[in-house]
Amino acid sequence: MNYLAQVLQKKEKREPMPRHMLIKNIILTVAVLSASTLLAILFFYFGKNTTSVVIIYILAVVFISRYSNGYIPGIISSFIGVICVNYVFTYPFMKFNFTMDGYPVTFLGMVLISSLISTMTSHLKLQNRMIQEREKLLAEAEKETMRANLLRAISHDLRTPLTGMIGACNTYLDTQNSLSKREQTELIQNVYDDANWLLNMVENLLTITRIRTNETPIHKTSELLEEVISEAVLRFRKRIPDADIQVQIPEDFIIIPMDATLIEQVLINLLENAYYHGASNHPICLTVTVKNSSACIKIRDFGQGIPAEKLETIFDGSPSTPNQSGDSRKGMGIGLTICRTIITAHNGNIYASNHESGADITFCLPLEEENTYES
Amino acid sequence: MNLKSTIIIIEDEKSICNFIETTLTAHNYKVITASTGQEGLSLITSCFPDLILLDLGLPDIDGMNIIKKVRKWSMVPIIVISARTQEQEKVLALDSGSDDYITKPFGTSELLARIRTALRRHQQQGGFPAQNEPVYSYDDLTIDFSKRLVTLKGKEIHLTQIEYKLVSLLAQNSGRVLTYDYIINHIWGPYADNNNNQILRVNMAHIRRKIENNPAEPNYIFTEIGVGYRMRESRQQS
Repeated sequence: MNYLAQVLQKKEKREPMPRHMLIKNIILTVAVLSASTLLAILFFYFGKNTTSVVIIYILAVVFISRYSNGYIPGIISSFIGVICVNYVFTYPFMKFNFTMDGYPVTFLGMVLISSLISTMTSHLKLQNRMIQEREKLLAEAEKETMRANLLRAISHDLRTPLTGMIGACNTYLDTQNSLSKREQTELIQNVYDDANWLLNMVENLLTITRIRTNETPIHKTSELLEEVISEAVLRFRKRIPDADIQVQIPEDFIIIPMDATLIEQVLINLLENAYYHGASNHPICLTVTVKNSSACIKIRDFGQGIPAEKLETIFDGSPSTPNQSGDSRKGMGIGLTICRTIITAHNGNIYASNHESGADITFCLPLEEENTYES
Repeated sequence: MNLKSTIIIIEDEKSICNFIETTLTAHNYKVITASTGQEGLSLITSCFPDLILLDLGLPDIDGMNIIKKVRKWSMVPIIVISARTQEQEKVLALDSGSDDYITKPFGTSELLARIRTALRRHQQQGGFPAQNEPVYSYDDLTIDFSKRLVTLKGKEIHLTQIEYKLVSLLAQNSGRVLTYDYIINHIWGPYADNNNNQILRVNMAHIRRKIENNPAEPNYIFTEIGVGYRMRESRQQS
């Protein structure tokens, strides 16, 4: 509450109320008061009861303090109310009289109640505003942390291959003549691989901007799943020609509304992970199954699997400490986080699990509602 | 080919330009480079190249304008170089008259294959339309256009009327990407609903199930998502 008081003081010390606010307050006060006076006259003529008139005025004060800014309109209107009640609705009519028995108490009570209510409502409003502001600040801070984390992960992931590339080029340029043909090829091959990896990284980053720009939902078109998968596999093979992938897909047409570029990126990221982390001669399996109006794509590698404690957090993109990840370069940096972002944007879900001899990553996407294209 | 084919590269990125030039020169093409659209246009009018490699993101003129300008007076093959995420641009470039596109980053073998296809097609169309290949063949798949016969490993494949039309259209343009609109116009006529390519997709899926071993890993007909289809280049041509 101390803090609240401080804020209140600060608020009051600030510049006077802007003009349009003042006008709005005046109009509101006048309108509500005249309306309640009208109502009071009606009640007074039909009910001959002063109590209900007083209640109507108190109601008016509550309204005014709720919908105007600051306390002043509420307090002014409560005074006006008291004066009206005294002048118009109590004996002697059309005259001020504060001397009759009990009247002072009534009026004092009315003033007190009205002022209290108006102070309370304005307090409440202020508090609401403060809570909102604080929430906004918190959300912004969170976003900022996320951005910083992402940037850190990216810079780390970008720097490693770049260092390698620069080093390889440097060696090549400096010692070209003394290197054997095989060594030269090896150096250039390293640069080629790293550059390819970097390119995929940049594609990933571009993908993020494609999703995150101005909150608009992604642009979806109906795509045949087999076409998307075949293109992803083709592109992946082009980059890593010795990758061995087995694709199993049902005979039916599976039509899914999606942004094909994004889903392709997911597939390529997952295949790449499977390729680098699988580390075995067994081919990577890509299996599609359809159940309950969604299609699940499972990518299975035959490697060491994922540590049980990381299964839950693997998509969070929390930068694992360099000691933890086996090879820091192909650490599961932001690739999986991006996969989850994309899949979530498609109203699907993605999860990781282990099987006897490796890891599975499965993602499911909702099918198109009316699947009328049957053979 | 005894005579060297002349290729003009219009590309503002020097390193990309360099690498293409080195590759093409090594494969016996005569290469001229231009780093701006203006320069490229004047070189095209003065050198009569056999093929143009055009980057769409030029500093001075929009690449699309260059295609349109060149197409007003010449049918010289144009291959567009574009980034991956710009499907719309690719379709637009193909529809405004470029022959093919290649997506950055590309390997040298891919680039050379595209250039060969485009040059060969141009020569066929140029003087000797009768020399159109009577048969398409790659791996186990053979299409005999005169007999309207499609065989896989020597066994006849039964295709519906529409499916045959589709396959033969792709086969006659093998090695080249055909946009959805182009295919729909040729198969279903100009009044077909171009906005709905679902029917085309479904027919292609049927064809894939008939001729491909595994529809998800095609060997003959490839999908270029958001753009169209491309059939593997026929083997029998010299």
